[in-house]
Amino acid sequence: MREKEQLIADLSALLGVKNVLTDATALSVYECDAAPSFKAMPDVVVFADTAQQVSDIVKLANKYDAPFIARGGGTGLSGGMLSVQGGIIIALNRMNRILEIDLENERAVVEPGVVNLLLTQAVQSQGYHYAPDPSSQKACTIGGNIAENSGGPHTLKYGVTSDHVLGLEVVLPDGEMIELGGTVEETPGYDLRGVMIGSEGTFGIVTKAVVRLTRNPQASQTALAVFETMDDASNAVSTIIGDGIIPAALEMMDSLVIRALEEAFQFGFPLDAEAILIVELDGIKAGMQNQTDQILEIFKQHNARKVDYAKDEAERQQLWRARKNAFGSFGRLAPNYITQDGVVPRTMLPKVLRRISEISEKYQIPIANVFHAGDGNIHPIVLFNERDPDQCERVEHVNMEILTVCAEVGGTITGEHGIGVEKMDYMPLIFSPADLQVMATVKAIFNPTGLCNPGKIFPTAESYTKLGLKPDAGRNF
Amino acid sequence: MENSRALHDELKYIVGESGILPEAQIADYTFDGYVPKVVVLPASVQELQDVLRFASKKTLAIIPAGAGTKLGIGNLPEKVDIVLATTRLDSVVEYEPADLTVTVESGIRLAALQAVLAQHRQYLALAPPHSDRCTIGGVVSANASGSLRLQHGTARNQVLGLRVVHGNGNLVKSGGKVVKNVAGYDLNKLYIGAFGTLGVITEVTLKLSPIPMREVILTAGFESVQDAVKTGLNIVGSQMLPMFINLINFEAGGATDAKKMTLVAGFGGDPETVAWQLAQCRGIMEQNGSMGVTVIEDKLQRQQLWSVIREFPAPSRDTKTVIVKLNLKRTDIAEFAAKVVNEGSDHGVQVMALLGSGVLYLAIPVTSDTDFQVLAKTITQLRQSVTEARGNLIVETAPPELKQHIDVWGPLGDAAGLMKQIKARFDPNGLLNPERFISSI
Repeated sequence: MREKEQLIADLSALLGVKNVLTDATALSVYECDAAPSFKAMPDVVVFADTAQQVSDIVKLANKYDAPFIARGGGTGLSGGMLSVQGGIIIALNRMNRILEIDLENERAVVEPGVVNLLLTQAVQSQGYHYAPDPSSQKACTIGGNIAENSGGPHTLKYGVTSDHVLGLEVVLPDGEMIELGGTVEETPGYDLRGVMIGSEGTFGIVTKAVVRLTRNPQASQTALAVFETMDDASNAVSTIIGDGIIPAALEMMDSLVIRALEEAFQFGFPLDAEAILIVELDGIKAGMQNQTDQILEIFKQHNARKVDYAKDEAERQQLWRARKNAFGSFGRLAPNYITQDGVVPRTMLPKVLRRISEISEKYQIPIANVFHAGDGNIHPIVLFNERDPDQCERVEHVNMEILTVCAEVGGTITGEHGIGVEKMDYMPLIFSPADLQVMATVKAIFNPTGLCNPGKIFPTAESYTKLGLKPDAGRNF
Repeated sequence: MENSRALHDELKYIVGESGILPEAQIADYTFDGYVPKVVVLPASVQELQDVLRFASKKTLAIIPAGAGTKLGIGNLPEKVDIVLATTRLDSVVEYEPADLTVTVESGIRLAALQAVLAQHRQYLALAPPHSDRCTIGGVVSANASGSLRLQHGTARNQVLGLRVVHGNGNLVKSGGKVVKNVAGYDLNKLYIGAFGTLGVITEVTLKLSPIPMREVILTAGFESVQDAVKTGLNIVGSQMLPMFINLINFEAGGATDAKKMTLVAGFGGDPETVAWQLAQCRGIMEQNGSMGVTVIEDKLQRQQLWSVIREFPAPSRDTKTVIVKLNLKRTDIAEFAAKVVNEGSDHGVQVMALLGSGVLYLAIPVTSDTDFQVLAKTITQLRQSVTEARGNLIVETAPPELKQHIDVWGPLGDAAGLMKQIKARFDPNGLLNPERFISSI
């Protein structure tokens, strides 16, 4: 980055002084996302209001060789918006307009700063919603969801962000504005829309999106089962899916989570239970009871000791309250935690959960589990105290071993949080240098200067060393 | 330029005698009037890599293929040296039914895979034309979908991972084997629908779906396109979850009439769920002025009708039909379908609309009287109005005489530059299916 003072002056001239933050206190708000163990200070934060402004900012960034990074709600969990090389953070929260709602075609056109839940709320009374529902949906933005290809509990049945976005307006890293995809389901040529989604903000900045809206289901039914062992609960999960039932959501919580929840909220769960499953069916009311009965039967076969199902919406909300409050209760368990995000084949869940508990034992680091069992998307919560350097070192090993297990059983290292800076080092666990080289090739086409969100996703030479791989296996991506 | 004899002999070193398709069968892989010099059938990924390395060294054009059913899709080729068919790479690599995913080699036939999955009451929810012959690799490369896309989407929504051999022979993977994965860029999307222009897919991991317990199809005839479309969209916008809801103007399986517009709606799932939908659907059809609703539950009858729907309009290498695909907003279907039916019925034009997905297919018969310049002009005019409605028009099958007058893909908008750069970086010598994809990529 060159001539920082002049860059800031140019940005101020473009956007007005009040839309340019340079004060250290103000900047510190932007030094991390929701994974606070990673921090980096930007040089300047700017608020964009239009796509044209985003394009102008990006052009200035190029002129001064300044790295630039888009930021939405700041709820990311992998440090994807960290300004690791300084530069400009472009805050998109003010681009929060819902531009068009077309219920007949089940589409909406939105700006990137629209908060996920607000889009759903805007169409709820007409019987629609926006399907991807990350747990942070009260604060995260559609632009951030697109960057991360976000999921959520209901992706088991409804798919991830990529399945719900038809078209994008993008400011490319050179400032040019283009459209990818469209307002119809398919457009000719390579699916660059699909490639852009999940590129973690390294291929450009989305300034507008055409998204699908989904009709609300006619009915839903939520059941909860308490199990004596994690094995029973995980086997129940595979049986449900294997028997041809696709629930809208299928979530699991382990004993540590149950106890934390009980302490905090007193839901009345048995404290000696090993696992709780929450399953939600949705769709057409007729025949739903048949599937519910089938699931209750599967629970019984797998030795569920208590089964409950919601008889009305209030009871349903109550059952979900436990799951949704789980993260809020971890403060009681330890001062800090890291949420892992591996995915494993559903049938591997019993094995993987056992391995995680062995890893916890080995390093004397408690690990809680609350996760999207139906997808095999585990979220081991690694609990520690960041002021204890010895614990921090053990946590490093814990992370690496958990992700290694996920890779070994044919899984992946992240299902919805993204690689960001948090998991760059682990990419060689699942991708060969040749695989990564292809990704680097595509990145070089979109982002030839590398100024757009640098220092993310790709492993470094040290990453290979850390994994015990030959350093020469590493390439410079 | 090598002669085919010498080329045969050199390729025989790589794939053996049995890896070269006998001359007599080469007709399966001719297209646009071109006869490939040789059709090579590698028996392993290693052989496939070697063939690509060989072609790259000799700067020979490679046309990747499966069974060859979609080779007719694309602009006229610049040159056709080797057709590389994956049909001998046809094994199921990994199938754990309780995971509801499967990994297969790309040359496996869709029908063969469905048969394996059916033993566990599962299936892949893609039903493109040529379902009996086409391969998974071909379906993914062409992003061929079909009527089931209404609830399940296309290959873009169901492919979890790919292995691909690039033009230089390098084998790489994208995605993975699990249902949710955001590690690295989603490069699956780049290869799906790329018609082999970026590499040859050798392995595919797919999401599966449970086979519905009960299935039923309803048909209803309507006097006008508008009434039929309105009724269909009513059903799509209701609480029902049809597997498909199509509008056709031709006779199919004895259940429909060539003189009427017919709505064909399929439902599947729990028997009670299906029963409720059947009653609802029938009600809506009757209230909206249908001339009569037929309920088809008998398996044989249902499959007969379904296979006509599924196979229409099969893109082919034969040149007796021009097939055009319109991607529209679903609210624009009535207008375009009515226009085509009004102007085209007398010329034997058949239409099928996938109402929920906004797709309208036209099958235009070609006769000895067809003036291709006029036809190209008509299609170009239609394309213009489709583009104004923010949709697009693709000519999926056409005789070379028509392709000479029209770009089958149409305008690409401002993303064309990026697409060309991607092609240039992935296939610098332009040897993979050259000139046939968008912007002569």
